[in-house]
Amino acid sequence: MSEEIGGELVPNSTRELDIDGEIDVMIEDLDLWYSSNQALHGVSLPIAKNRVTALIGPSGCGKSTLLRTINRMNDLIPICRYEGKITKGDVVITDKGADLVELRKSIGMVFQRPNPFPKSIYDNVAYGVRLHHQPTREELDRIVEKSLNRAAIWNEVADRLHDLGTSLSGGQQQRLCIARTIAIEPDIILMDEPCSALDPIATAAIEELILELKKDFTVVIVTHSMSQAARVSDYTGFMYLGRMVEFNKTEKIFSEPDQELTKRYITGRFG
Amino acid sequence: MKDIDRLKKRNRARRDLMERAGSTGLALSGLIGLLFLTVLVWQIAKPTFIDGESGQIESASEFIPVSDYILKWDHPTVDDNGDLIGDAVVLELSWNDGNPQTHEITITVTGERGLSEDIIVDSSGVSTNAVEVGKKTKFYLLSSLEVPVEVKQLSGPVPAADPTGAPAVGAFVISGDVDVLMTDGTLVSTPLEIAAWIALLGVILLISVPMPKILGRIERLGGKERAVKYGAYALATTTLVVGTFTLDAWLGALCWFMVGAILVRLLEGLTRLRNQGRDPTQFDRLKHSITNREGLLMWARMLFVFSALFIPLAINIPFLTERYQDIFIPYASGIRSAFFGTIWVMTIAMLVSMPISIGAAIYLEEYAKPTRTTKLIQALVTNLAGVPSIVFGMFGLAIFVKQGGVGLGLGPSILAAGLTMGVMAMPIIVLASQEALRSVPRSLRESAYGVGCTQWQVTRDHVLPSAMPGIMTGSILAMSRIMGEAAPLVVVGAAALVLFDPEPLAGLTGGNVNFTVIPIQIYFWTSEPEHAWHSMAAAASITLIVLLAAMNSVAIILREHFRRRLNP
Repeated sequence: MSEEIGGELVPNSTRELDIDGEIDVMIEDLDLWYSSNQALHGVSLPIAKNRVTALIGPSGCGKSTLLRTINRMNDLIPICRYEGKITKGDVVITDKGADLVELRKSIGMVFQRPNPFPKSIYDNVAYGVRLHHQPTREELDRIVEKSLNRAAIWNEVADRLHDLGTSLSGGQQQRLCIARTIAIEPDIILMDEPCSALDPIATAAIEELILELKKDFTVVIVTHSMSQAARVSDYTGFMYLGRMVEFNKTEKIFSEPDQELTKRYITGRFG
Repeated sequence: MKDIDRLKKRNRARRDLMERAGSTGLALSGLIGLLFLTVLVWQIAKPTFIDGESGQIESASEFIPVSDYILKWDHPTVDDNGDLIGDAVVLELSWNDGNPQTHEITITVTGERGLSEDIIVDSSGVSTNAVEVGKKTKFYLLSSLEVPVEVKQLSGPVPAADPTGAPAVGAFVISGDVDVLMTDGTLVSTPLEIAAWIALLGVILLISVPMPKILGRIERLGGKERAVKYGAYALATTTLVVGTFTLDAWLGALCWFMVGAILVRLLEGLTRLRNQGRDPTQFDRLKHSITNREGLLMWARMLFVFSALFIPLAINIPFLTERYQDIFIPYASGIRSAFFGTIWVMTIAMLVSMPISIGAAIYLEEYAKPTRTTKLIQALVTNLAGVPSIVFGMFGLAIFVKQGGVGLGLGPSILAAGLTMGVMAMPIIVLASQEALRSVPRSLRESAYGVGCTQWQVTRDHVLPSAMPGIMTGSILAMSRIMGEAAPLVVVGAAALVLFDPEPLAGLTGGNVNFTVIPIQIYFWTSEPEHAWHSMAAAASITLIVLLAAMNSVAIILREHFRRRLNP
C-alpha cells in the first residue's frame, strides 16, 4: 500500500515491527497535527529496552516531533494535538491524566542545542535531584560526581564545579546536559540530534558515551548522520513525510532495506 | 539507583502543594493587579460616559479622618446652640536646657472645625502665648530642643479621659528633636558599628582583589569555621545591644553577619583548593571554589552602600535635616519632611507595585490562555502606560483619598499617595516584565520541563531569574518616572508646608495625614515671590537628582548581579 506524494511513491506507515528482547515503550498508530497540518500519519514504533533506537529521515519528516511526543514535550506547543496510543509498561503516556512530572522524570531528554541552565555546573546536575527528592549534602555530592563520571566529563570539570555551566565548550555542555539527564535516573533517554552542533571530536565522545549508556538506559536518538545511526544504534526507523517507512535492525536497514525509498535515502540519492 | 530509590519515597505531596500554592498565589496577585487596572478604567470612564454631566468627584478635604489628636477634648461643654462654652485651656510648658524656662499658653477651643495653629518651642521660648484651635482639631507642639518639655494643664475642660475617668493627658512630655541619623552633628554610631562597616569593606576587598599575604594569614583559621561563625554572631548581638536596637545598630549587626558568612565561605573555598593540591595564591582558582561568590559580593556591596549612606547623613546638613520653614529667613529652612515624604511614598509605591505587577506579568505571559478577555486586558494595560499622570491622580483621589463608594478614605496621606504612585507605575512594570519574560529562550523552558519541572517550578527557578535583569530595568524606569512626578500628588492633596516628619501609616491609624514630597516642595517654592526661595528650589532639585541616582545605583547593582549570573 503506497501513495504518491510530491513525485515520490511513499508507502503507508509500516506495521511489521518485530524486535527481539523486551519492549520498553510502544507507540501505536500515532497521528499528530500542528493546527490543521498533519505531521505524523499513523506511526507505530516499538522501542527496545536497553538498546539504542535511531530515527533517520530528511528534515521535516517528523522525527523530532515523534521523539517529543514520547515525553509529551509537544504539550508545550498550544497548536499541537494528537491521537493514538503510547504505552510504557502499564502506563499510558498519551492518557490525559498522566502525571507529566513522573513521566519526564522517567523519560529524560537531551536537546539538539546544548542548553544547560545558567547555573553552576554542580547545580545543573543537582537541580533535578533536588527537585524530586530531598537529598542530604553528601548524597547530592555523590550523585553529582557519579552522574558527571558516567557522562565522561568529571575529569574536565572536577575542579571548577562552581563555574557557570554555560561557560563550558559546546561538547562539554552537551555532556553536562546528559549528566543532568542521567542524574535523575530515567529509564529512557531521548536524544534529539545531540551532535548536530558539535565538532567531530566531541561527536565521537558523545557516541562513545551513548554506547556506554546503553547498559543502563534505553536510548532513542534522532540523527541526520546515517553513519552515526549505523555506528551507535541497534534498531533504526526511517521516516518520510510523517510516515514510518521502514523499521528494522540497523544492519538490515543499511545492508538490504525492504523499501526502495529507504535504499535511495541511505545511498544519498534524495533527501 | 539505590540512592535515588531511597529518596524517591519522600516527595510527591510536597511538590503538589508547592505547585498549587505557587500558581494560586501568582494568579491571585495577578488578579489583584488586574482588578486595580479595571477599577481605574471604570473610574475614568464612569463620570464621563455613564454619569454624564451629573458625575462629580467630591472634594478631598471632606474626608480627612478626624480622630486621634495629640490633644483632644472629647467632652467639651456645649450650649443649646451647639457652641462651646467654658474656660480656655491653659497649658504650662517648662524645660531646662541650662536656661530654665516656663511658659503659659492659653488655648481657646472654638466651635469651628478644622482650625489649628502649631506651637513651636525652641531655646528662645515659645512662638505664641495664645492659640485658637477648632473643635476636634489636632494641633502640634513642635520642639527643637535637646531636652524633654513638660506640659501641664492648669485649667479648662478636662481632655480625653481614660477608662477610670482620670484625665488621660494631665501632664505629658515632648522629647527633644529625636533623630535617628544624627545628634547635633556627632555620629550616633557606636564604635562597634563603625568596626562592622570597616570589617565588611575589608572582606569585600578580600574576595574581590587578590591579596596573597592576607589570604595566607586567613588560611591559618582553617578548621575553625564554627568559631568564626559564632564569633560573628556574638559581635552582631553585642552591636545590637550596645546600639540599643536603632536602625544603624541593625545595619551594623547585619554587617557582622555578612562578614561571618563571607569568611566561612572563604575558608571552605581555601580548604577545597588545598584539597585539590593548589596554592591559595592562585586567585582565579579561589574565585571558583567559593560557593556563591557573586551572590555574597552583591549582598555585601548592597549592605555597604546602605551602611555608607549613614555616614554622610550623620553629619548635620541643615538643608536636609531642618524641618522648619520660616517665611522670613528662607536659607534657614530645610526639606526634611519633603525628603522623608518622598522616601516613604517611593517605598510604599515600590512595595505595592512591584510584586503585583510582576505577578500580573507572569500571569499574563505564562499562565493566561490567549482568550478574548486576556487580549482585552493586554490592550488596556498597554494603553494605561501612556495615560497622563494627572489622570492617575484623579484615580487616586477617587479610590484612595475619598471615602464612600469604592473609596478607601485614607485621606490625603502618604499611604494614599504611595498607592496612587504605585498604580501609576504598574502598567510600565507589567509591560517591561512581560517583554523580559517573552525574551527568555524556549530552549531554557524545554530543558527545565525535560528534567520534570512543573510549570511553577519552571517559572520560579528558570524563567524568572533569566528575566530578572529586564524586570529590574523596567522597574527602575517606572520608579524614576514616579519619583519626579508632582501632578498626581497635587490632586491627591500633598501640602505646601509641612513642619513635622510625615507619618507613613497615618491614613490608616488616623494620625496627622499631611505630607509633602520634593517635587511638590520645589513647585511651591518656585511660586514664592522672594528670590531666595528659588535658590532653595534649585537645591531641592539637586537633592532629588542625587536621591534618584542613589536609588538607581542600588538597582543597577542588583541588575548587574543578575546579568552576570547569566552570562559570565
